[in-house]
Amino acid sequence: MSCFENISMPSCVWFESGEKRNIMASILAGLLFFAGWWFIIDAASVYPGDLPNAAHVCGVMATLSMIMVNSVSNAQVRGETYTGGCMGPRGARLWLFLGFVVGFASLIAACWILFANYVNASSSKHAWPGVGLFMQNAFIFAGSLVFKFGRTEDLWS
Amino acid sequence: MAGIKGLVSLAFAGSIGMTFVILACALPQYKLWWPFFVVLFYILCPIPTMIARRHTDGAGGSNSACMETAVFITMGFLVSSFALPIVLARAGVIFWGACYLTLAGNVIVYLTILGFFTIFDMDDSDYAMW
Repeated sequence: MSCFENISMPSCVWFESGEKRNIMASILAGLLFFAGWWFIIDAASVYPGDLPNAAHVCGVMATLSMIMVNSVSNAQVRGETYTGGCMGPRGARLWLFLGFVVGFASLIAACWILFANYVNASSSKHAWPGVGLFMQNAFIFAGSLVFKFGRTEDLWS
Repeated sequence: MAGIKGLVSLAFAGSIGMTFVILACALPQYKLWWPFFVVLFYILCPIPTMIARRHTDGAGGSNSACMETAVFITMGFLVSSFALPIVLARAGVIFWGACYLTLAGNVIVYLTILGFFTIFDMDDSDYAMW
C-alpha cells in the first residue's frame, strides 16, 4: 500500500508499526457489519409489524457465522501454530467450514424471505422490510469476509 | 506552543460539535432529547482502542488481533452514532432538521476525537512525530 507511505500528516500512534492494511480492513469490516445491523433496526422501526419477528434469526445467525469464521486464524487451519488449538487443524477446518455454512445459510434465507414475501407486489405491504433484511445479511456477510480475508497474518513481509 | 494552540483549537471544535447536538435537542421547534444519546457513543468510542493499546506490548501494537477487534468495535460506535439520528428521523420520532444538526455535530466531534488522539496521545517512545 505505497500510497500511504507519502502522507506527511502526523500519523496516528496506532499506525506506527506500519501495518496499515489490517487496520483498514478492520475499519471497513466494522462499517459494513454495523451498517447491516442498522438496516434491520431501521426496517423494524419505520415499518412496525411488517417484519415478522422470526426474520431476525437470519441476522443473528449471520453474526454467529462472523464470530465463528474469525475466531480461527489461517495459521491454525494450516496447522502452523505451536499449540494447535483444542482440536488441531482438523477441528479448526471443521469450525471454519461450519461458520461459512451458517453464513451462507443466513444469506440464502434472507434472499428467500425477500423474494417470497416482499417482491411479489400483490399485497399492499411495503417492500422495504424485506430489502432491509436482505441488506442486513449481505452487509454482515461482506463485513465477515472483509474481516477474515482483508487482514494479513504475514507480519514481517 | 503548538501543543497549547492545538489543545485550544480542539477544545473549540469539540464545543462547536456539542453545541450542534444540544441545538438539535433544545431548539424550540424540536424540543426532544433523543439525539442526545449520541453523546454516549462519543464517550465510549475511544475506550476499545485504549484498552487494546494497554493490553498488548508497545512494539506489536497495531499488528495484534486485539487491536483490530478494538478498531472493529470502535467502528460500531461510529456507525451507531450516525445511524441513530437517521433512523429516529425516518421513524418520525425526531424532525429531520434535528437529525441533520446531530449528524453535523457527529462529524465535528469525531474529527476532534481523532485529532486529539493523533496529536496528544503519544507514547513516551514516539519523539520524532513532527
